[in-house]
Amino acid sequence: MSQKISVRIDGQLCTAEAGQTIYQVAQAAGRHIPALCHMEGLSSAGSCRLCLVQVEGLGRLLPACTTPARDGMAVTTQSETLAHNRRMALELLFSERNHICAVCVSNGHCELQALACELGVTSVRFPYNYPRLPVDASHPRFVLDHNRCVLCTRCVRVCDEIEGAHVWDIAGRGIASMLVCELDRPWGEAESCTGCGKCVQVCPTGALVEKGRAVEEMTKRRGPVLHLAERKEARP
Amino acid sequence: MSRAPSQWFAGLDKNFINKAADDNAGRPGALLAILQAVQNRNPQKYLPREAIAAVAERTGVPLSQVYGVATFYALFNLHPQGRNTICVCRGTACHTRGSKDLLDKLRLHLGLVGGEDDEDEAIATTTPDGAITLRTVACFGQCALAPVVEVNHAIFGHMNERTLERELATLERPAASRREPTP
Repeated sequence: MSQKISVRIDGQLCTAEAGQTIYQVAQAAGRHIPALCHMEGLSSAGSCRLCLVQVEGLGRLLPACTTPARDGMAVTTQSETLAHNRRMALELLFSERNHICAVCVSNGHCELQALACELGVTSVRFPYNYPRLPVDASHPRFVLDHNRCVLCTRCVRVCDEIEGAHVWDIAGRGIASMLVCELDRPWGEAESCTGCGKCVQVCPTGALVEKGRAVEEMTKRRGPVLHLAERKEARP
Repeated sequence: MSRAPSQWFAGLDKNFINKAADDNAGRPGALLAILQAVQNRNPQKYLPREAIAAVAERTGVPLSQVYGVATFYALFNLHPQGRNTICVCRGTACHTRGSKDLLDKLRLHLGLVGGEDDEDEAIATTTPDGAITLRTVACFGQCALAPVVEVNHAIFGHMNERTLERELATLERPAASRREPTP
């Protein structure tokens, strides 16, 4: 029997279970917090910094997806400061790699693009980085395009937690961080990859896609992954 | 990472990895200790691909995760290291006292300009003859001595082009075979 706590989200009093994150409590209360790296059914990484919220009495912003709610906490999920910070985080993501929507297979079905529209990012104030990045098309059915990767690590987590193969991980650090397959091997030569395609379906952008899709054609199916995560959760 | 098979690894007693893994089993951060033991065993102070694969196999940690750890920490090298190491501090204090110029001069002097790894702030580059590895570091914590350069793990403060050239000459003259004894 878990302990009940009360949390105030944007002034609204909510009852939650101890151990739930601020994000989960807010979602149950019908409050929408923008997020990119967070995904239902997977562990939280807290890497995108879009779900930052203001907790009363704290000077700094906290990521809602990794912060456990505490009894008596008062959280603000929408404010001018938060909107400013979220827009800035998105702009930094856009400036980091080569996100060219017009030629992207995920155009119109991209979470990064949708968030930019939602938060009103109309221009990027930082100079673009234009890195020279490879595209790995060695897999018979899928493509990895590093130019469109936001390093959210959803693919890393789904492969480790749901599929259990742990083919992907992040190598390097800082601006040089890259998604790697096994020992920095072409995906098509990976020995541990089962070819299940879960990483492709959970990728929020056009970084992991199916082959043979033209611009705007890549829609992702999250259903099966969510279903598997639920069944895994329900198992004793 | 060098793709050529490592002769050193081929000749390595595989029990060494087993022993390193057993010594650290169950400890948090065991992977770091194991990788460090393997790297220190290699006279060229780096982790060949085969070694990373062997550590992953022995510990049961996924290959990509071991690779992620090995590339995250500047301590681990994926390329053979030079017989001598020169480390230039690129912290704020050293930067204001001209460490960028020192670094540029060094790279020019060692012929590390225009090569494959020609990046301004690359963490480590080695001369083609394997004599010297040039590294940068964010701060040695010796800011009062800025600009600071470390030569084979000895700290030299208030460096300028002339004193640096003098240190280089002592490295290069005795047939570059001078190697620090491994601790």
